[in-house]
Amino acid sequence: MRLALTGNPNSGKTTMYNALTGQSEKVGNWAGVTVSEKESEIRDIYQLTNEKLIIVDLPGAYSISPYSSEESITRDYVSKKNPDVIINIVDATNLSRSLFFTTQLLELNIPMVIALNKSDLNVKKGNTVDAKLLSKELNCPVVETSSINGEGLKELVEKAINTKEVVNRKTIESDEERFAYVKEIVKKVEKRKTLSNVRNSFDKLDEKLTDPLMGLIIFALIMFGVFYISQAEGPLGLGKLLEGILVGFIEGIQEYLSVALADLNPFLYAVFVDGIIGGVGAVLGFLPLVMVMYFLIALLEDCGYMARATVVLDPIFKKVGLSGKSVIPMIIGTGCSIPAIMSTRTIKSERERKATAMLTSFMPCGAKLPLIALFAGAFFPDSPFVGPLMYFTGIALILLGALLIRWMNGVNTKNSYFIIELPEYKLPSLKFAFKSMLERGKAYIVKAGTIILVCNTVVQIMQSFSWNLSLVEEGMEHTSILAGIAGPFAVILLPIVGFASWQLAAASITGFIAKENVVGTIASVYALSNFIDTEELVLLEGGSTVATVMGLTKAAALAYLMFNLFTPPCFAAIGALNSELNNKKELLGAIGLQCAAGFTVGFLVYQIGTLIATSKLDASFLPGLIVIILIVIIIVSIGMKNRKEVY
Amino acid sequence: MSLLDVELEKEYLVQDIESEDEELKKFLFTLGCYKGEPVTVINKLRRNLILSIKDARYSIDLNLAKQIRV
Repeated sequence: MRLALTGNPNSGKTTMYNALTGQSEKVGNWAGVTVSEKESEIRDIYQLTNEKLIIVDLPGAYSISPYSSEESITRDYVSKKNPDVIINIVDATNLSRSLFFTTQLLELNIPMVIALNKSDLNVKKGNTVDAKLLSKELNCPVVETSSINGEGLKELVEKAINTKEVVNRKTIESDEERFAYVKEIVKKVEKRKTLSNVRNSFDKLDEKLTDPLMGLIIFALIMFGVFYISQAEGPLGLGKLLEGILVGFIEGIQEYLSVALADLNPFLYAVFVDGIIGGVGAVLGFLPLVMVMYFLIALLEDCGYMARATVVLDPIFKKVGLSGKSVIPMIIGTGCSIPAIMSTRTIKSERERKATAMLTSFMPCGAKLPLIALFAGAFFPDSPFVGPLMYFTGIALILLGALLIRWMNGVNTKNSYFIIELPEYKLPSLKFAFKSMLERGKAYIVKAGTIILVCNTVVQIMQSFSWNLSLVEEGMEHTSILAGIAGPFAVILLPIVGFASWQLAAASITGFIAKENVVGTIASVYALSNFIDTEELVLLEGGSTVATVMGLTKAAALAYLMFNLFTPPCFAAIGALNSELNNKKELLGAIGLQCAAGFTVGFLVYQIGTLIATSKLDASFLPGLIVIILIVIIIVSIGMKNRKEVY
Repeated sequence: MSLLDVELEKEYLVQDIESEDEELKKFLFTLGCYKGEPVTVINKLRRNLILSIKDARYSIDLNLAKQIRV
């Protein structure tokens, strides 16, 4: 039996979904975070009947008529797939708007129950809603609920599975009539103590948070704070603390195994200890860092701040031809590009939507975090700015990329508008943040144990054998299969790191399967399995060892890091982009743009860095410059052709 | 006059939405922003306005604010 959850954005729908199913789907405090239908089996304690109960969480909608593509999922689903029961989540603190959608849903003549949610909040405000009277007026069961506390949920499910009666209701023709009807009902059932249009202390806060300058500074500070807590050393460095514990554990395993397997064939030993444990262990070592970041961002989203951040960033985004709503995919993208790309569906303008989808992966995702942390720790141990710098570069690339795309399409943005609901601030749920952090951690570990494990094993094997399938001698690593495959690509890295390193090329290539692989592969090919040593607390001392072994200057290291961050994302993300764009030419264009961006940024960072450090140009400057010029020529000619077609 | 010129924290009734964008008008409608309905401007900032419509807060850009006449 399928129960569809639907209601206004921010009505507490997804919180209720999580409470009913025990999942911890991301709760976003702005319209657009639930973008596609999610469904799941109900928790056992609510399984009140023999028939299997499935809950479907639909995107938030203000009405059944499509406005943006997110709302049409609701309409399509509800109108066409005929769920068994609709559970309409109504925000008790905003009846006057919520009931508009409710009355539309009732007219679908599908069994329906209303969950009068946030009832506890309403009581706190001194407002009351007569649920019994409301139920009588609408001819529909009403249950008072609080999805955060879990109150009323059992009753809700009970009523839902027992509502089989369908009453043929008259259809209200015009929207004006509908609101008039709603107003009458609200007058009868609601008693308000606090008026909504009076300024309160939260409004004063919003004044600061949405101010163009102040708000931006606050946003930057908050983001910096998030990175600091997750990545830095020091008293607030929660991430590093947990990392130390975890890494100690991994190292313990490694030590045990290196003794237990000491008599093993040296090749197998290398595969196990260096390749698998070293490589995968290196990736897992960053797990705490990723989890802490997730936790903090979940808190930020849940409390309602992110909507305010969107307001601040909108004018900036408008200038480059994107929408303020483009911020949403970017924030989600700090976790993973795939849901981020899918969340672009909330953007109304097709052009803005596609541009955003193409540019989203410039935002460093969770998989790129280990990479950032590795290079920051190894080459820039005393500088806490490397991490945030990567994110701001990502934002800069998104803005520049947007300008470029807009120029290439020769379209002038028509006067578009921006409106977003500012939900009430709420105390973020630690429980949900914690749960979503754990789920993310689980996903990370699973990924490490599968894709990354396989990749590392393959890399280990490929680097241990030469083409005639004999073991590679020490000092002859360049004759290995891996070197043979990666070698030709290494020339691309020449203007970025100053020499053609097949190891780094191999690492970048494996990065397309999963960005964490760059770390794993580096640990493998440089036999750095010991760099996750704990006595020196991960990369602090081990850091300089890593730096020495890799033989990179600081400029080269930074350049290589940025190269990997801004080239096309993993294949899975490219797949998501493909389904969003649905156009092979645009997909190729996007990938081309990303390759060009990664190369150009790496080139600039290395060449300028080297110039500053050594006061002379590196030998690779000229060939790199030629490539850049070629890229520019290609982009300009495509752009000119496009613009001619438009005009 | 448009929302850009109103007094803060004072309730006004919407007269018209000056726009050819039907979808915009429809969307605003579902929020409760249409002819005859009350709207209050809570905050007027450099790039945006914060409104109260039917017990909810919204941030709109100045462009849109100019199109809502009260």
